[in-house]
Amino acid sequence: MATHALQVSDAEYQEVRSHRLLGFLFFLISDSILFCSFIFSYLYDRSASPMWPPAGVERPGLYLAAVNSIVLFGSGVTMHLAMEAWRHANRTRFTQYIIATIVLGIGFLSGQAYEYTHLHDTWWGSVFGASFFTLTGMHGFHVFIGVCFLITVLLQARNGVYDQNRYFGLTAATLYWHFVDVIWVALFFLFYVY
Amino acid sequence: MDATLLLKIIAGAGALVVGYFAVKALYEEWPKTALEDQVTKIMMALLTLGCVIVLTVAFGIAGKV
Repeated sequence: MATHALQVSDAEYQEVRSHRLLGFLFFLISDSILFCSFIFSYLYDRSASPMWPPAGVERPGLYLAAVNSIVLFGSGVTMHLAMEAWRHANRTRFTQYIIATIVLGIGFLSGQAYEYTHLHDTWWGSVFGASFFTLTGMHGFHVFIGVCFLITVLLQARNGVYDQNRYFGLTAATLYWHFVDVIWVALFFLFYVY
Repeated sequence: MDATLLLKIIAGAGALVVGYFAVKALYEEWPKTALEDQVTKIMMALLTLGCVIVLTVAFGIAGKV
């Protein structure tokens, strides 16, 4: 597949790349709409309820979530640095930063798993629990997919699939990871701060 | 040390460090004009906002326990 990609001229590659990028951005937009629909559903439930969270429902731990958020936001920065290292042809730094991103992503998922196992509420226990587990679970699934995406991209980069001018997979992985980060900003604010 | 205080310190210090790098990345991305760079600018700005939110939580200004 890599050999086939190299047979395409630079002009052709750029044209195909711009289409792929646009397609990927449309995918991210559609994914944001999916999250937005669940977020608005949560806000509707919240506004319809006389008190929030409903009586007898415990809020999830704020400070653990804050630390977990910083782990995820930190991974966004390391992913950006990995992309910049690739653009500057620094392969060692690229590998280091992308591994750091994967480790931080796994750290975030571990923190979320810890939070899930220590919460007293359940998915079916209350409206708050249903919204919380649906939205954060859906986000966690996206992070898991992102970690798999990054591992694939790292292996592809090591196997020479990308070169200095043709690295759309890396760009897509970076945009996806930033998207996952940004969705968490909204979820952290909604469930822990607001 | 109290666990809550420790978590607050880690979150606050982490938010400062990550926020600094996010702003730096945003500053470096600013002159670039490609489509993915424009998206990255938006993402980095929102990441910075996330760090500010965590910072306010760490300082006890925002957040419900």
